[in-house]
Amino acid sequence: MSNPYLPFRAAIIEVRRETAVDFTYRLEADMQVAGGQFVEVSIPGVGEAPISVSDFGDGWIEMTIRRVGRLTNVIHHLRPGNSLFIRGTYGRGFPLERYAGKDLIIAAGGTGLAPVKSLLNRYGGNPGEVKSLTLLAGFKTPADILFRDEIERWRRQHRVEITVDRDDAGGWPGRVGLITGLIAREPISQPENTVVIVVGPPAMMKFSTLEFIKRGIKQENIWVSFERKMCCGIGKCGHCKIDGAYVCLEGPVLNYTTAGRLMD
Amino acid sequence: MAYWLDMDSFNGILKELSADNVVYAPVKMTGKGAFSGTDLVAYREISGVEQIEFKEKSRFSPKEIVFPITQTLLYFTEEEYAVPGTGEKGIIVFCRPCDVNAFKRLDEIFLRNGGRVDSYYRELREKVRFFVIECAESFDSCFCVSMGTNRADGYDVFIRAAGGGFLCDVRGDLATLFEKFGGPAEMSLRFIEENKTKVSIPESVDQSVFGHGIWREYASRCIACGRCTVSCPTCSCFTMQDIFYEDNPNRGERRRVWASCMIDGFTAMAGGHGFREDHGDRMRFKLMHKISDFRKRFGYNMCVGCGRCDDVCPEYISFARAINRVDALMKEAVENV
Amino acid sequence: MLDINTKKLMKNAYRITKHRGITALRVRVLGGGLDAGYLDVIKAIAERFGNGKVHITTRQGFEIPGIPMEKIPGVNRLLAPVIQGLEVEMGVGIADVNGGYPAAGTRNVSACIGNSVCPFANFNTTELAGKIEKLIYPNDFHVKIAVTGCPNDCIKAHMQDIGVIGLVLPVYDPGRCMGCGACVKNCRKVASGALEMVNYKVRRDHRRCLGCGECVLKCPTSAWTRGDQYYRLVIMGRTGKKNPRLARTFLEWVNEGAVLKVIGNMYGYIEKYIDRSLPKEHVGYIVDRTGLPVFSQEVLQGIELGSLGRAAGFIPFGGYTY
Ligand SMILES: Cc1cc2nc3c(=O)[nH]c(=O)nc-3n(C[C@H](O)[C@H](O)[C@H](O)COP(=O)(O)OP(=O)(O)OC[C@H]3O[C@@H](n4cnc5c(N)ncnc54)[C@H](O)[C@@H]3O)c2cc1C
Ligand code: SF4
Ligand code: SF4
Ligand code: SF4
Ligand code: SF4
Ligand code: SF4
Ligand code: FES
Repeated sequence: MSNPYLPFRAAIIEVRRETAVDFTYRLEADMQVAGGQFVEVSIPGVGEAPISVSDFGDGWIEMTIRRVGRLTNVIHHLRPGNSLFIRGTYGRGFPLERYAGKDLIIAAGGTGLAPVKSLLNRYGGNPGEVKSLTLLAGFKTPADILFRDEIERWRRQHRVEITVDRDDAGGWPGRVGLITGLIAREPISQPENTVVIVVGPPAMMKFSTLEFIKRGIKQENIWVSFERKMCCGIGKCGHCKIDGAYVCLEGPVLNYTTAGRLMD
Repeated sequence: MAYWLDMDSFNGILKELSADNVVYAPVKMTGKGAFSGTDLVAYREISGVEQIEFKEKSRFSPKEIVFPITQTLLYFTEEEYAVPGTGEKGIIVFCRPCDVNAFKRLDEIFLRNGGRVDSYYRELREKVRFFVIECAESFDSCFCVSMGTNRADGYDVFIRAAGGGFLCDVRGDLATLFEKFGGPAEMSLRFIEENKTKVSIPESVDQSVFGHGIWREYASRCIACGRCTVSCPTCSCFTMQDIFYEDNPNRGERRRVWASCMIDGFTAMAGGHGFREDHGDRMRFKLMHKISDFRKRFGYNMCVGCGRCDDVCPEYISFARAINRVDALMKEAVENV
Repeated sequence: MLDINTKKLMKNAYRITKHRGITALRVRVLGGGLDAGYLDVIKAIAERFGNGKVHITTRQGFEIPGIPMEKIPGVNRLLAPVIQGLEVEMGVGIADVNGGYPAAGTRNVSACIGNSVCPFANFNTTELAGKIEKLIYPNDFHVKIAVTGCPNDCIKAHMQDIGVIGLVLPVYDPGRCMGCGACVKNCRKVASGALEMVNYKVRRDHRRCLGCGECVLKCPTSAWTRGDQYYRLVIMGRTGKKNPRLARTFLEWVNEGAVLKVIGNMYGYIEKYIDRSLPKEHVGYIVDRTGLPVFSQEVLQGIELGSLGRAAGFIPFGGYTY
């Protein structure tokens, strides 16, 4: 009888430091992944947590993990050669077919950039799949900026705008201000032909979405990715349920026509 | 086929069944109630029919037999892990019609929701046979008739305690065993056809009632203790826990334990961010799950009207009344359109 | 010509009042509980022989004032059903129920309402009060005893010579624990912080546990249930002019047998050590004179403390002097 809770051991091939608290782990794993999906990552005895697959390829997946608690503290001590336990992939990813031929704007706040990273890379390699791609990303401070190398690469392929909430240390040459400001100023030539992805902390997602709606984007053309406490990832434990929706099953990527109506 | 058995012959059957089965039934445990001088009726393994509590409703439901409060999922050492087995024996559960119906609800979540099968649940669930205890009378808080769960199907034996013995309707392969110990009898099944408590389930509940003042009232009354969900035969939520054993830090286990959407921390994420901090919102969320959300997925309501949540709430919050209040609000909303 | 033996009158549970020739009767209400029917008797005495008033005492009795001393025999006859019902039927040895109370030194054993009503109570306080009364009454030694259902001590057992506090040993089934933390949080907030979470399960530190049973009350899954019944005995609390103080723990986690035996033994101790040159000596002052070791040696004779039971070797009574 197949046991959906059994994880498999996946060796860590590479660890990259993104910021002081965010590290990217490349694991040896042969999995079917769609951008936006997640896996349950664990260390037996320590804990298990849902983590988005930030990138994937033949025989490997990548995850960018922020150190916030019991499990992620321990993960941050792991090095190449160590391994993690994985089960998944779970949830629904981004419906790429809905973005084909459209102007796609991705608005990401902080670690929200992780779940859309594979999308940015994909469209970088296949620019013809969308009409245009814009990345608007906001971070708390310059020190919190993730994927610096990738961002430079994406700049060469797509329109990329980065903003930080504050520049405490000084010396940040780029924009300072909330991501909603970027959205307000974003030139949107054909709102009816524009699709939007919003990923980030709850407040950022709420206000960014409202801003896009103000800019004339139709609700059915907006997708968000939800974070909820999750213990099973497979619709059993009940933790991720909002209204009638299980975020682990129907999400984490949800169209705004659904997501906007979910009430806690 | 129906049979009549006296106490000794019924115990004869239980003895034979015990060779290959673990038998669970509601048992009254003297002095084990929370208050001094009170008893606790809950599910325990039994060996004789005299141990079964036929009169009182059990405080906890039989769900813990297939969905234990604490269940080890994996044992592990530094190098490998193992999945615990559940033994070879079958499981016999003595329970009332509402509880049989509750198992069907648990099946939806554990065997079907999301398309994946929870193997731990299935392993235990597949072993279960029901010995249904006939409800001679409805308890005050029961509303099984309103929920359509007053009748039970899918049982092996249906039992009526009568005349110092037991009248049993037996289905399937157990008939031979009953034939050996009991005498033939006539039996027509009786189910409760009316409860004192009645609820009217709103056809649909929409978010127009989410902001209503009744939730503020429940917010001021509910202490988020979780008793209602813990005693509920259909609540199926759980949390994962990973531990290393204290006496052997190289070994440990991953287990699951019951969780409740009424209790603090159910939605807590790293950094202390949580949802539905307000107890009234939790009450609404629970109610929506029981009488609306589940129905939207599976076509029928989750709540089976056993009334346990009303029996155990220390703050005297009646879930049945809450349903009726929401129903009234929805009707009002329709009239005002 | 009024000629009264005041010593006899006082032993009969009447008192010398400020009004010459007028007395007041103190009715014992064992454990503070009585059938409502007895109130008719109290009412009749007050209206027929007293001034129509009744005072409720701190020790849960009724004091009926305004009774002319010569009416005492009539009052006592009227009182007979109360003595019969509340004393004799509880097993207290009183030969002549028509003669009023045979002694007043050992006071009414008071008790909180206990587990017949109170959710916090760990046992039936009235029943134990009855057993104690049976053991020690009638007796002239001045002793105050109270029985309370749990460490909330609503009866103020800490103001008595002997206070009996009901405890329960909480029994934990880790398999039934869902780790909600309610018991841990509550024990920290309202009891003693005896509980902590270790590996998502609860650990109880017996040395810090009060036996209040709150954890059992709070647990939604009945992971905590009631185990055996135990008692804490606090001793030598008092009010009064000399060194008022709260009682302190003498025994904890002992069973009922031990409680009763210690109380019984205490009367032997008083008998042996009381200063007979004084009109009366409260037991607390005797202990002050002899010291705790002598008291302990006498009262612990033949006591089984059991596996959990503990006796205090030294008690820093404290309190204060005016
Ligand atoms: C769909 C999804 C995708 C995610 N993707 C990422 C990602 O790519 N990178 C990343 O760093 N983090 C991600 N998270 C958040 C991540 O799951 C939490 O930070 C992680 O659970 C914290 O675990 P911990 O044991 O270190 O922290 P603790 O605070 O010790 O967590 C205790 C327990 O709380 C629960 N929990 C706490 N926070 C969360 C949370 N935010 N979401 C769900 N459960 C939580 C877990 O069950 C955990 O075992 C994602 C969450 C979800 C739901
Ligand atoms: S919600 Fe209440 S009445 Fe309905 S099944 Fe659960 S415990 Fe029983
Ligand atoms: S009511 Fe709450 S605890 Fe019960 S199944 Fe629903 S979400 Fe879970
Ligand atoms: S039992 Fe009552 S007080 Fe406790 S969580 Fe349920 S509704 Fe609230
Ligand atoms: S009995 Fe009282 S003191 Fe002891 S663990 Fe329970 S709550 Fe704490
Ligand atoms: S209250 Fe009960 S379920 Fe909750 S932590 Fe304590 S023992 Fe466990
Ligand atoms: S994470 Fe368990 S139900 Fe969604």
